[in-house]
Amino acid sequence: MSVASHSLSGALAGRASRTGTLFGRSPGRTEAMGKALTWLCGGALAFNLLLVIAILTLLAVNGLSYFWQRDLVELDLKDGRKVLGEIWEVEQAAKVKATATQGPEAAIDRIRMKIGNRDVSGLDFVWLDAKDVAARSRPAGVVMLERLEWGNFYGTMAELRRGGRVLASGPEAVWKAFGPLHEQKLRELAKIHDLEKGGIGDVNYEIERLRLAEKKLDLQKLPAAERSRRKAVLDAGLAERQAAYDKLASRLTALRERFSAETLVMRTADGQTKEMAVGTVLQALRPNAMGTLSKLRVYVGRVGELVSQDPRESNTEGGIFPAIFGTVMMVFLMSFAVAPLGVLAALYLREYARQGFLVRLVRIAVNNLAGVPSIVFGMFGLGFFVYLLGGSIDRLFFPESLPAPTFGTGGILWAALTLALLTVPVVIVAAEEGLAAVPRIVREGSLALGATKFETIRRVVVPAAAPGILTGMILAMARAAGEVAPLMIVGMVKLAPALPLDGKPPFLHLERKFMHLGFHIYDVGFQSPNVEATTPLVFATALLLIVVVTLMNLVAISLRNHLRRKYAGSAV
Amino acid sequence: MANPEERVADSPEARLRLRNRSRETPRRRLVADRAARWVVSAGGIAIIASILGILIFILIEVAPMTFPAKVTLVRQVAVPGASRIGALLADEHRTHVASLDAGGVVRVVRLDDGKEVYSSPALAPVLAGMTVPAQSRAFAAATGDGRVLIKKMEFSVTFQGSDRVVTPDVTPPVFLELDPQHRPLSAFAAQIDDEGAATAAAVLADGKLAVVRRALEKNEMTGESSESLSRAEIAVPGQVTAMVLDPQQRNLYAGTAGGDLLWWPLEGAQPGELKVANAGAPVTALNLLLGGKSLAVGQDNGALSVWFAVRQPDDTQRLERVHEFPRQPAAVRVIAPSQRDKSFLAASGNHLGLFFSTADRTLWTGPAPVANLTAMFYSPKADGAFMAGTGQAGAGTIAELAIANPHPEVTLKSLFGKVWYEGYNEPQYVWQSSGASNDLEPKLSLVPLMAGTLKGTFYSLLLAIPLGVFGAMYTSQFMHPAYKRYLKPVIEIMASLPSVVLGFLAGLWLAPRIERAVPALILALIVLPLTVLLTGYLWNALPRAFRGRFPVGTEVLLFVVTLAGGIWLCVALSRGFEKLAFAGDFQSWLLRSTGLGFDQRNAVVVGLAMGFAVIPIIFAIAEDAFSNVPRNLVAGSLALGANRWQTVTKVVFPTASPGIFSAIMIGFGRAVGETMIVLMATGNTPIMSWNPFNGFRTLSANIAVEIPEAPQGGTLYRTLFLAGLLLFVITFIINTVAELVRQRLRERYSQL
Repeated sequence: MSVASHSLSGALAGRASRTGTLFGRSPGRTEAMGKALTWLCGGALAFNLLLVIAILTLLAVNGLSYFWQRDLVELDLKDGRKVLGEIWEVEQAAKVKATATQGPEAAIDRIRMKIGNRDVSGLDFVWLDAKDVAARSRPAGVVMLERLEWGNFYGTMAELRRGGRVLASGPEAVWKAFGPLHEQKLRELAKIHDLEKGGIGDVNYEIERLRLAEKKLDLQKLPAAERSRRKAVLDAGLAERQAAYDKLASRLTALRERFSAETLVMRTADGQTKEMAVGTVLQALRPNAMGTLSKLRVYVGRVGELVSQDPRESNTEGGIFPAIFGTVMMVFLMSFAVAPLGVLAALYLREYARQGFLVRLVRIAVNNLAGVPSIVFGMFGLGFFVYLLGGSIDRLFFPESLPAPTFGTGGILWAALTLALLTVPVVIVAAEEGLAAVPRIVREGSLALGATKFETIRRVVVPAAAPGILTGMILAMARAAGEVAPLMIVGMVKLAPALPLDGKPPFLHLERKFMHLGFHIYDVGFQSPNVEATTPLVFATALLLIVVVTLMNLVAISLRNHLRRKYAGSAV
Repeated sequence: MANPEERVADSPEARLRLRNRSRETPRRRLVADRAARWVVSAGGIAIIASILGILIFILIEVAPMTFPAKVTLVRQVAVPGASRIGALLADEHRTHVASLDAGGVVRVVRLDDGKEVYSSPALAPVLAGMTVPAQSRAFAAATGDGRVLIKKMEFSVTFQGSDRVVTPDVTPPVFLELDPQHRPLSAFAAQIDDEGAATAAAVLADGKLAVVRRALEKNEMTGESSESLSRAEIAVPGQVTAMVLDPQQRNLYAGTAGGDLLWWPLEGAQPGELKVANAGAPVTALNLLLGGKSLAVGQDNGALSVWFAVRQPDDTQRLERVHEFPRQPAAVRVIAPSQRDKSFLAASGNHLGLFFSTADRTLWTGPAPVANLTAMFYSPKADGAFMAGTGQAGAGTIAELAIANPHPEVTLKSLFGKVWYEGYNEPQYVWQSSGASNDLEPKLSLVPLMAGTLKGTFYSLLLAIPLGVFGAMYTSQFMHPAYKRYLKPVIEIMASLPSVVLGFLAGLWLAPRIERAVPALILALIVLPLTVLLTGYLWNALPRAFRGRFPVGTEVLLFVVTLAGGIWLCVALSRGFEKLAFAGDFQSWLLRSTGLGFDQRNAVVVGLAMGFAVIPIIFAIAEDAFSNVPRNLVAGSLALGANRWQTVTKVVFPTASPGIFSAIMIGFGRAVGETMIVLMATGNTPIMSWNPFNGFRTLSANIAVEIPEAPQGGTLYRTLFLAGLLLFVITFIINTVAELVRQRLRERYSQL
């Protein structure tokens, strides 16, 4: 249509120019003006597209390059210092505030280098003037250590010790001896983790449970004999657990001692040495000696680590597994709440309510609720769910842990319900659209065959509208996955000690706080003490979030298109 | 279903029965149908009602701020044996009240049963004047022999089981000798701090003002403290009728019969330079409000006002009448300040009033519970008050009032108008919900936040409206449907990008880069349109045969590439342009030539990021409006000889304009409520300025920042809910209007 009319317009314009001015001005100028303004409109569209492409590219490049092991570069500076690290950025013609020594015209090339060794030098990154660099090299023997604490270490291996005894010395010998020893240490580390999380965690959980039971006993009105009998049982249990705890703790201490028996001595580029326990090293690499393939292997390993590991060092390193888990679980909980609610409301509005002014008004209101700022929903969630409902639940069912709140504080349940409220208009609108798209003849056919209205809805209308309802659900889930503002006030924390789902009864802990990808971005990117070092991690997290949300949206879009085509064909 | 019945259907009766049955729907199914109808309707209505219940809940949370203060008489107790009671004190929980009478006796009465639990020996023979120094827990009195006594009156609370036992602390009083000749004192003021350092000032019989300070020096080694006294005497202009010392013992205020307010700063006991301000009628009552800086002044003609020091243009401080209250029916006799906020009680004749200084607010007025009111005390938790005078039980009656006054600081004026806060030179719009010390009063003006909201919305719409509307116009009118199919999902993806990601990119990636390259941004405004025009011209110059092979709208793809080049060009030229136009440094140029500051996270950054979030919303709705313009209109216009552009601007655009209006409205609604982008890409400073290179704070970000710290049910909490209510109502109205406009448009289209 557009093409046809376009060529038509050309023909008409030609005619107009012959017969004179139809729209006032001289036709040639109008034509040229029109062309130019059309281009500008096209430019606006192109700019939008460019923005989308730019943002996605920016995220993809920064997010994906985070995992790639760069080569280690050693820079010899003109003042004799040596710097070893990864070059992250070269800023050309950087503007530096005018200083006395350099004068006002200071435009220089600057190199941003990650030098790690936070425990030695205090800084992860340095800015260097390119003109200060005398020579650069990529020594093959330099090692990058990923550590449990203090971030990365760059340097050469000097010695391997056990107690006071030197096991190996010199870069090559240490590198050879390090490998097998390190593997053994990682196994020990896993054992320590198991003990901490498993055995000791379980005992602690039991002790806490018994303490609460004891407190509850104090609150109950019981005959004295009964009370002291129950108390004795609890105390015995407590003592038993305490003994178990002590045993486990001493085992842990022994494990820890063995774990930190061997130490590695590293030498930095400028000659300082640093001794660290072998076990605190997570990974040791010689990036300059690695081929592309082995770098790729490291890359894949790091992606795996990101999605499967717990965060370390106040979220600045390690993985984001709890955040992924929290997001997914919150979205699922929300779906369980939002699906029946949304569908029920849509069914009522479309099938049962008398279509009149009031329903029209309600429809507009519901529609517009989707445009109400999400922070308002968060505020409502805090006031209603957390303080009012949660506070009442605490008073009724968990008086023993007061004043520490159980449900009377933000938690995954309240977050899910808040988001359910936020997204239910989306589901209602989409479900209504789906219901409305079911052709009337289909319903009438069903009714004519003797089915009741409910049977028609259940067997004919709802199945036909299912893709529409599903579309709404997916859109709602995508929105919930990306929404942060309301969750900030109803249940997210920067670091949740325990997942909301685990092996301890009642397995699903709806009152627990949780981590969330979106909040993780905000928290790590803006609240962390070392923003510069964590920005790449945030990029990776953001990329993951975008991929998830975009995929969900694409599925919803294609589902909807499919649905529209289907009914466009069948509705006659 | 059919099988068993077929078998029975052998006999004729059975056949008949079956026929009847098969015609009507079985009851079970009908019941199920009816039940389903009932369940769905009830459930549906309940869900819709509960969604709309959000509004009601928020209203309920906001409502208590509008409730008036409630003052009720709890009880009257007689203090037997007391002559004229001149000062009152009570404990935190309002269980006991202590009185000091003209006979110099301190009595403590338990309120539950009216029993006297303590009475002191007479501290001094005859007391001339009695008071409770502002914000202290002590009695002060002037004796007939030229001394001032200060007696601390604390209550200690112990628990016996779960019962609270309150016992009065009985420490001996401190005497300060003001007149060595032991003449009676007239007006006086005193103050004591926690350690016991005290100051007293009084007007002597010869009209001179004497100040005595008792300083304590603690010996670090022995822990003993030694006392040192200093005294000063100066002349006073006029006859002093009331006097008060601030809790820091650094300022002395006095009111005179001539209507002057006198103010001396104190250095130890030595008064500094006197400053005089005229208040008009004779001053009859004087007291300091919480914080010790605001002076509540009651006058003979019933005038009641609050004064504090204001910095003058010549950089000196002078007392100014800042808050004025309605004229009271009689001379104001006693003023009792609250220890929680800036409210105070004032008694004039038999009339009592509760006022809040900062908001110029009269919270409550009514008759005083006792006649001849001589002393008044506002309880420490600000939940009650005590007054002494003549009551049902005769002279020496103490009446207890309960005061419910949870949100005195909130009025329409304090939320939306300029308020003159203590320490400011003029009335201002300020949002500062909490401060370093408890004395700092919360300043809850929503105006800076609303201004911030509008600022962020303005800059983002500045970007989003042209890009969204014109982009949509091009898509619907000039683009081949084959492209449109791919374009729409791209725009929807754009709409679905989580705002936390946009905020992160804006705050951490874009902001530092913009800081370095503002000139590039300015260049882009010129270079990018030129790039597009040039590309269009070159495309047009290509042979028609070549162009014809591509569908209409292909040039947009070309634009994407050349625009990217244009942006690169802008960045590359940025330094040169900066040298040329801004003398090498944009930020210092900005400061020099316009006086505007530059924050890294500013409105331009927010405008770009939030604009990006709003574009797809405007785009989608505007595209819808453009595409749905009836084709016969377009065809008619073209048939009349208009060219494509003329058709679009003169026919399509006016027809679709209501739809575009609603697109912009909905975009506006989204920008108003956006939280994460603003939170991350601005400095969140609640300042009012239209400088595009400054930060700001919006209503929504303010809620996100402050509500986790706001105690439930407090004034801040409710004010934040009010902010949320504002957001809710604004966006709801905007969206409803936009939706109605769209529906009307749809109807009109269908008629065309």
